[in-house]
Amino acid sequence: MGYLLKTNWWKWACIVILIYTVVAGLLFPVPRLHILNETIRVLHFHVPMWFGMILLFLASVIHAIKYLRSGKSLSDTYSNQLASVGLAFGIWGILSGMLWAKFAWGEYWSNDPKQNGAAISLLIYLAYFVLRRSFQDEEQKKRISAVYNIFAFILMIPLLFILPRLTDSLHPGNGGNPALSIYDSDSNLRMVFYPAVIGWTLLGFWIATISARISLLKQKFDDA
Amino acid sequence: MNKVIQLIRKDLVVDWRQQNPITGILLYLTTTIFTSYMAFQGFVSLAVWNALFWIILLFTAINAISKSFIQEERRTHYYFFTCKPAEILSAKLIYSFVYLMSVTILSILIFSILFGNPITNYLLFLSNMALGVLGLSSAFTMVSAIAFRSNNRSIMMAVLGFPIIFPVLILSINNSFQILDGFVWIQIRGNVLALLSVDVIIIALSYILFPFTWKG
Repeated sequence: MGYLLKTNWWKWACIVILIYTVVAGLLFPVPRLHILNETIRVLHFHVPMWFGMILLFLASVIHAIKYLRSGKSLSDTYSNQLASVGLAFGIWGILSGMLWAKFAWGEYWSNDPKQNGAAISLLIYLAYFVLRRSFQDEEQKKRISAVYNIFAFILMIPLLFILPRLTDSLHPGNGGNPALSIYDSDSNLRMVFYPAVIGWTLLGFWIATISARISLLKQKFDDA
Repeated sequence: MNKVIQLIRKDLVVDWRQQNPITGILLYLTTTIFTSYMAFQGFVSLAVWNALFWIILLFTAINAISKSFIQEERRTHYYFFTCKPAEILSAKLIYSFVYLMSVTILSILIFSILFGNPITNYLLFLSNMALGVLGLSSAFTMVSAIAFRSNNRSIMMAVLGFPIIFPVLILSINNSFQILDGFVWIQIRGNVLALLSVDVIIIALSYILFPFTWKG
């Protein structure tokens, strides 16, 4: 995170990749698939949110571990801001997914393991923010919320593996539904999808660095 | 090890003397089961029996285990000087497991009186249940240590506890239903082992993270 605050080149990369993603994602030809049709374009605007969310949460957990090891308040600020941007990504992911599901599967929520897993990860991080607000002592707040962040994130990982074992998913690539690998002959989707993942993730970290800066300035003014 | 036994004995004596936490939990359990009995008009299918059993167990567990650190208020400082965090945690984990296990067995008895007893393969049902109870009791013990420092503890227990208990809960509900439905060991082996490994992860994380909630 410290490196990202100091450098700029990745912000330019982010802008270029996202312009490409939006233009190519909406205009490039897509394979004609039964039911999915043009809605397959959501691939570039929905799926990368999950990659972004998990990476932001992972970075948040790494900073929580750093905080427990060093006790530096800076790591706590990073951890908190990364988690809140991750949460925003998760909420956009779940809303865009529900909207798409209404057209592709016929209902907003259909007990799909990936939908349930996403909802539970959001609950975990909403609980994290409720926990942060329920302390009077600043130092205790930082330490205990770092503990919960690590505990909950590591328990979230087996959940994401266990849920699909119990019920079949409707998502492409599960339970016999078509997925990315079948379009190998048509690599247009991949050419947009992989940059999209990188672009949206970079955007997430960009927002996190800005909100971390704002939060650090606020702390400075409060102290002064 | 000696200290762990002493800490467990202390918890036992405290609970025995105060009595109202234990009687409170037992009454909570009985009333909840009886309310569901009235609500479902007596007859329930296998799937409902199983879901009801685990949901009532979940709510009882969160109420029963929340006291494990929250009751410690005044004794905290004393422990801090005499015992290592690992010893305190071990004592709490063992005590919560035994405590919740006894409550669960009692709940099976009340369930079989009111809703009938669909269990045929006792060994498998009880071992899966024990793994589920181990997961519930150890995760909630750790959550109790986290909620202990916050402002509104009883709400925080539920808010923090429910999302992280999902892997344990869905695995044990699923296994338990399959066992009641007549599945044998070979068929559910994978999911039972998955439950065991989630329990191991919870306990290992508790030992790593508990010292950070304890100091200060």
